[in-house]
Amino acid sequence: MRFEFTQKRAVALAVALAIGTAAHAANPDRDAYFGETHIHTSWSLDAWLFGNRITDPGDAYKYFKGQPIKHPLGYEIKIDTPLDWAGVTDHSEYVGVIKFANDPNSPVSKLPAAQPLKIAPGKPMQEEMERIFVYGVKVLMGGPPVKALASPEIAGTVWKETADLANKANEPGKFTAFCSYEWTSMPNNMNMHRNVFFKDCGKIPSMPFSALDSPFPEDLWTWMDGQRRAGNDLLAISHNANVSDGRMFPTEVDFKGRPIDAAYAASRMRNEPLIELKQIKGTSETHPLLSPNDEFGGFEIMSFLLGDPSGRIPHIVGSYARQALKDGIAMSDTKGFNPYKFGFGAAADSHNTGVGYRQDNWFGAHGAADGMIETRMSGRLTAGMDPRVLGTAGLTGVWAEENTRPALFEAMQRKETFAVSGPRIRVRLFGGWEYTADMLNDTAWVKTGYARGVPMGGDLPPAKGKAPTFVVWAVKDPTSGNLDRIQIVKGWTKNGQSFEKIHDVVWAGDRKADKWTGVVPAVGNTVDVENATYTNTIGAVELKKVWTDPEFDPSLHAFYYARVLEIPTPRWTTIQAKQLGVAPPDVVPPTLQERAWSSPIWYTPSADARKGAQPGTTVAQLKKSGAAPLNDAQLKALIVQKSTWLANNVTGDKYEIVYGASGKSGKPAAPIEPTYVTQQFAANQGQFWLRFVGRKTTLPSMVGNALEASYLSTTAPYYINNGKIVTSQVGTPIEITVYKAGGKYLAARSNEFGYANYEIIPAVAELNPLGPIGTSPKR
Amino acid sequence: MVARLLREPLIQFLFVGLALFGAWHLWSPSAVAHGRAANRIVLTEDDVRQMTLVWVAQGRPAPTAEEMRNLIGTRVREEVLYREALALGLDKDDTIVRRQLARKMEFLAEDVSKLEEPKSGELRAWYDQHKARFALPPRASFRHVYFSPDRRGANAPRDAGAVLGMLAGQPMDAPRAAAAGDPFMFQSYYGDRGFDGVAREFGPSFARALLAAKQGAWTGPIASGYGWHVVFVESVTPERVPDFDEIEPDVKAAWIEYRREDVRSRMYQDMRARYEVVLPEANR
Repeated sequence: MRFEFTQKRAVALAVALAIGTAAHAANPDRDAYFGETHIHTSWSLDAWLFGNRITDPGDAYKYFKGQPIKHPLGYEIKIDTPLDWAGVTDHSEYVGVIKFANDPNSPVSKLPAAQPLKIAPGKPMQEEMERIFVYGVKVLMGGPPVKALASPEIAGTVWKETADLANKANEPGKFTAFCSYEWTSMPNNMNMHRNVFFKDCGKIPSMPFSALDSPFPEDLWTWMDGQRRAGNDLLAISHNANVSDGRMFPTEVDFKGRPIDAAYAASRMRNEPLIELKQIKGTSETHPLLSPNDEFGGFEIMSFLLGDPSGRIPHIVGSYARQALKDGIAMSDTKGFNPYKFGFGAAADSHNTGVGYRQDNWFGAHGAADGMIETRMSGRLTAGMDPRVLGTAGLTGVWAEENTRPALFEAMQRKETFAVSGPRIRVRLFGGWEYTADMLNDTAWVKTGYARGVPMGGDLPPAKGKAPTFVVWAVKDPTSGNLDRIQIVKGWTKNGQSFEKIHDVVWAGDRKADKWTGVVPAVGNTVDVENATYTNTIGAVELKKVWTDPEFDPSLHAFYYARVLEIPTPRWTTIQAKQLGVAPPDVVPPTLQERAWSSPIWYTPSADARKGAQPGTTVAQLKKSGAAPLNDAQLKALIVQKSTWLANNVTGDKYEIVYGASGKSGKPAAPIEPTYVTQQFAANQGQFWLRFVGRKTTLPSMVGNALEASYLSTTAPYYINNGKIVTSQVGTPIEITVYKAGGKYLAARSNEFGYANYEIIPAVAELNPLGPIGTSPKR
Repeated sequence: MVARLLREPLIQFLFVGLALFGAWHLWSPSAVAHGRAANRIVLTEDDVRQMTLVWVAQGRPAPTAEEMRNLIGTRVREEVLYREALALGLDKDDTIVRRQLARKMEFLAEDVSKLEEPKSGELRAWYDQHKARFALPPRASFRHVYFSPDRRGANAPRDAGAVLGMLAGQPMDAPRAAAAGDPFMFQSYYGDRGFDGVAREFGPSFARALLAAKQGAWTGPIASGYGWHVVFVESVTPERVPDFDEIEPDVKAAWIEYRREDVRSRMYQDMRARYEVVLPEANR
C-alpha cells in the first residue's frame, strides 16, 4: 500500500532510536556532518504562492532523514543520501498568513489586505500566481509592513509550532534539528536576507525579529546582541550576495548610510560568522569580472534582482565573497577592523520543503513554476528567472565532535565549516608553521593538524618560520565524480590594494604544471553530452598535500581557502534534455565541475612584521603636504588625447593608458578630422585603452579583465567629472583623483582605501629587460 | 432512518466536530469576535495585555501611548472590515474561501481522529498486521582491505583478487590483512553500522553487496565509490521487527497517523457517494 511505504522509513528510524542502537561516541578529531541551512515549506508566504500547500516543517525533517514526501505538484521526491542535520527557515514575514488563512476561524482570511493575494477566478492560474508572487515580493517583502497581515499572535504561534517540530525531529547523536528562520529583508529588490539559527530550542524568543520590524541588517544584529544577553545564543548566515545589487559587502557606508567603522565590523562578525556561498539561485564566491584570472570562476553564476524590477541592472561589485574577503583584510590593514572575516556554507533555498542536491535528482525549487520537466526545460520565466539557470542545492559541512546542537553550533561559530555544491565532498584544511611534507604518511595526521596549527576558519598562530604551511585533504562523494584538483585561493593586501592568486596544490593523475605559465592542464572530460553520462576513469578518489606559500610576505595581511574540484559531469539541464529528447539548452554549459570550498584561514602580521612593510603614499599625507587635487580642466589637459605611462607603486608594474578624445557638442567635424567619430559621444565622455599589461602583472582588485583588454585592444568608457576620472565596473563607479606633489603626478583609486598608489612616469622603452639568459627579469 | 444515520461514522464525526467548535466558540480566549451584536466591538483588558506582551516579546521597550493607540486601532480596523466583508457576502463564490472551507472539513476529520484512543488489543492487532513498516534496517560489523584506483589504476580489482586468494582461511584480525592493500582514509573496521551509515560512507551499491556477502570469511572483491575492497563480514544483524512491547509508543504514533489518513479517506468517500457529478462530454 502506498501509505505503508511512505510511513515505513520514518517509523523505522524512530524505532531505531527507541531501541537505543549505538550513536557514535564523540570524536576529538571531529567528523564532517552535512546539513541544510535554508529551506522553505508551505508556511512561507512565497512557497505557498508557488503552490506548496501540503507539506510543513515536519515533512522537511522527514525528507532530510530519508523519507519520501510529496512535491507541491503531488509526485514523490526523495533525497539520495540522508542528511545529518537541518534547520527549517521559513520567512518570518507574514509567516502563517496562509496557514491561518486556511482556517476560517482566523480573522486573516477575511482581511481586505489579503485581497491582492487571492487568485482571481476566471484568470489563468499560472499568470495569477506570478502576479501574486511579484506583489508578494514587491509589496509584502519589499514595501512597508502590511500590519494587518503580520499579526503578532499569528507569528508567535507559528514560531512556537516551528520550535515544537524541530524538537520532535531532533535526535542528539543521529540527527540535529535547529530552531531557525529567515529574516527576509529586501528593500528595493536588494537581497539582504539572513537565516538565523538558535543554539538551543529551549532558549529562543517568543517571536522572531522579522524584516517587518526592520529591513536593516544593523538592526537585526542589535536585536541579536540583545538575544545573546538574554541567554539566547544565536547566529546569522547571509545568502545570495550575488543578488544583493552590490549591497551585501559595502566598504564605505552601511545600509543606514553611516560610515563603516570598528563598531560595524565587530557587530557584523559577532553575529554573522558564516555566509551561504552557493545555493539554487547562484554562486556568490566570485565573478569572472572580479577574478579574470580564475579559470574556474564562472561557476553557476546568476546575477539578478529578485522581483525583476524594470530598468535596473544588478551591480557586481559588492556582491561576491572573495572580493569582500579582500576588502576585509584591506580594511584590517588600513583601518584596523575587518567586517568580512566569514566562513563558508552552502544551502538550498528551495520552496518545495524537499531539496534536489544532485544533477540527476533535480525537480526544481519553486513549486508549480518549475516542478514539471517541461516547464523547467522550456525556460518559462518565473518572475524574471530562467529555471534552466537555477542550479542544484549545496550543503554545509561542519567539522564537529558529535552530532548535537551545541557541537554543530559551536563549529559554525568558530567557522570550522565548508561549502559543497551538492555532492558530499569532504575537505580539511589546516594552517601552521611546522607541518612537514611527510606528515600525511601518518594515519593520525589530523591530530598533528590540530596540535600544530589551526583548522579552517581559524587565524594562523604567531609566525614561527619563513612561510606558513597548509595541509589540505579532500575525498570524493562515493556516489559522484572523481576529484580533479585542490586549489588554494590566496588573497593579500598592500597599501589599500588587494590581490588574489589561485594556486593548484595537488591534482589527479600525472599532469605537470607548465614551467613558464604555471598552468596545470585540464583533467579531461568523460562526459557524453548526448547521452548525459560520464565515467570515473579520470580523476582521483582522494587528494592530499602539504603546501607552503611560495610568495609569502610576512608584512602583509592574507587569507587562504581551499577549493576542491570534481571532474566534469553532466549538468541537470543536459540530463533532462536527454530525457525529453531535445538539445541541451544554449544558455548554460552542458557540464560542470562540482566543488567544495573550505572556510578561510587568516594571517595577520605582528607589529614587528609590519615594520618591514614598505609604506605607501596616502591621500591624507598628500593633502597635508599641500598637494591639491587636479580639477576638471587640469585633468583634461593632463590626459585627454594623450598616451600616459603609469606605474603601480605597490606592485612595480608599468603600463600605458591612452585616454581618447571626449565628445564635443556643437558643429560636427569633417570626416577627415581624427575626432570625426568621437564627437558622436557625449561631452566629457571618451574611451580609454589599456596597453602592455602582461600575464605576470599583479592585478589589483577591480580593474576588470585588464589582461584581455591589453591583448585584444578593447576599450572602456571614461568620464571626467567633479575633479575625477571616472570608469565603472558594471555600474559601480571607480573614481580616480590625481594630485600634483613635488613635480610628480600621483593618482588614487576610490576603492583603495585612501592610498595614492599610481604615478605618472616617463615612457618605458623596454617592457621586459632580460637579465642573464634563463633568469627571471628584474622589474 | 434517523437511527441508521446516527450510526454513520461520518455523522458521528460531524456531531463531535460541531460540538468541538461550539465549545471553542463559547470558551475561546480569542477576544474580539465575541458578542457579534451588530455594531459592538469589544476589546477587553486581557486583549490589550496580550497585545502589549507580544510587542514586548519582540525585544522592544513597552509601547508608548501612541504605539498602543496604533495597535488598538489596527485591531479594531481588522474587526470592522471583517464584519463588513461578511455583510457584503465577500466570502461567497470566492476561490480562497471555498478552498479554506474544504480544508476545514479535512481538519475536522484530523482533529477528531486525534481524539480517538485505541481500544485494548486494537493497537497490538494493528501492529501484527503492519509489522513490516517497523522493521529495523540490517546492521553489519566488518573489516575491509582497500585497493585504491589512485595508486593502482585499472589494476585495483585484479590486485584485490590476488589478496583475496592470499587471505583465504585467514581470521579477520590476521596481520597479513592489516598489511595488505592501501591505507583507507576512514576506518578499516566498522562495528555494528546500519545500512544507511555504510551507504553514506561507501555508497549504496557497496552497502547492498556487503549485506549479501558471505559472512565469517574474507570475501569479495566488492566495488565502492572509492575503489575495490576485500571484506570480512564479522556479523550481520538482519532486518528485524522489534517486539510490540519494545516500541509501543511508536506503534501508537504510527497508528494515529494511519487512522488520520483512513478517516479522511473514508469520510470523503461517504460524502462523495452522495453526489452526482456531471462533466462536459469531452472529459467523461
